[in-house]
Amino acid sequence: MESTQQLQEKAREIQERLGPQIEEAKRGLSDLNTRIKTFVRERPGVCLLGALALGFVVGRIASRR
Amino acid sequence: MDEQERAGNGAHGNQRPGIGARVEHISSSAQQVWTEARGVASDLKEAVDLDRRMEEHPYAMLGAAAAVGYILGGGLLTSMTGTLIRLGLKVAALPWIKDELWILAGNAVASFGSRPSSSSSSEAASPGTGASTR
Repeated sequence: MESTQQLQEKAREIQERLGPQIEEAKRGLSDLNTRIKTFVRERPGVCLLGALALGFVVGRIASRR
Repeated sequence: MDEQERAGNGAHGNQRPGIGARVEHISSSAQQVWTEARGVASDLKEAVDLDRRMEEHPYAMLGAAAAVGYILGGGLLTSMTGTLIRLGLKVAALPWIKDELWILAGNAVASFGSRPSSSSSSEAASPGTGASTR
């Protein structure tokens, strides 16, 4: 019984400690996602060509191994 | 034999079309080809609708472009392809695994929370019924 309470206490403590950090990380990732999407939508041709070139380089490196 | 036929095999006829007429003919043909090519390109662009696809699925389009580049770079028949496919499968399975873990954790927490009170009450009432309820 006591161990259950201790575990609950511990879980609550961890949640309180990590909660804000997880929220912050979530917000940061969401912001990054929005910025990337905006960038891609503003310059679709450049992004597609960049991805194509990157894939080509990776494929070239992989084929040389 | 009319004039046009004679103009076609200029080596035998006496009346050759002038250079100007030939240039004009070639120019009009080239213009026609150019117009048709532009029409085909416009139709293709409309059919593919790249802008809308980029608007709706930016990451998927970037991934597709990178995959095309990878294949063009000659990476298809390499060991890295297998590694990438395995990694992709694992990433695709992540949401399913997460859901399963959430369900397991929820069940564990529910059983963990309900066990002491129910067992203590059932043991207090009748010691034999505790095992039958589990």
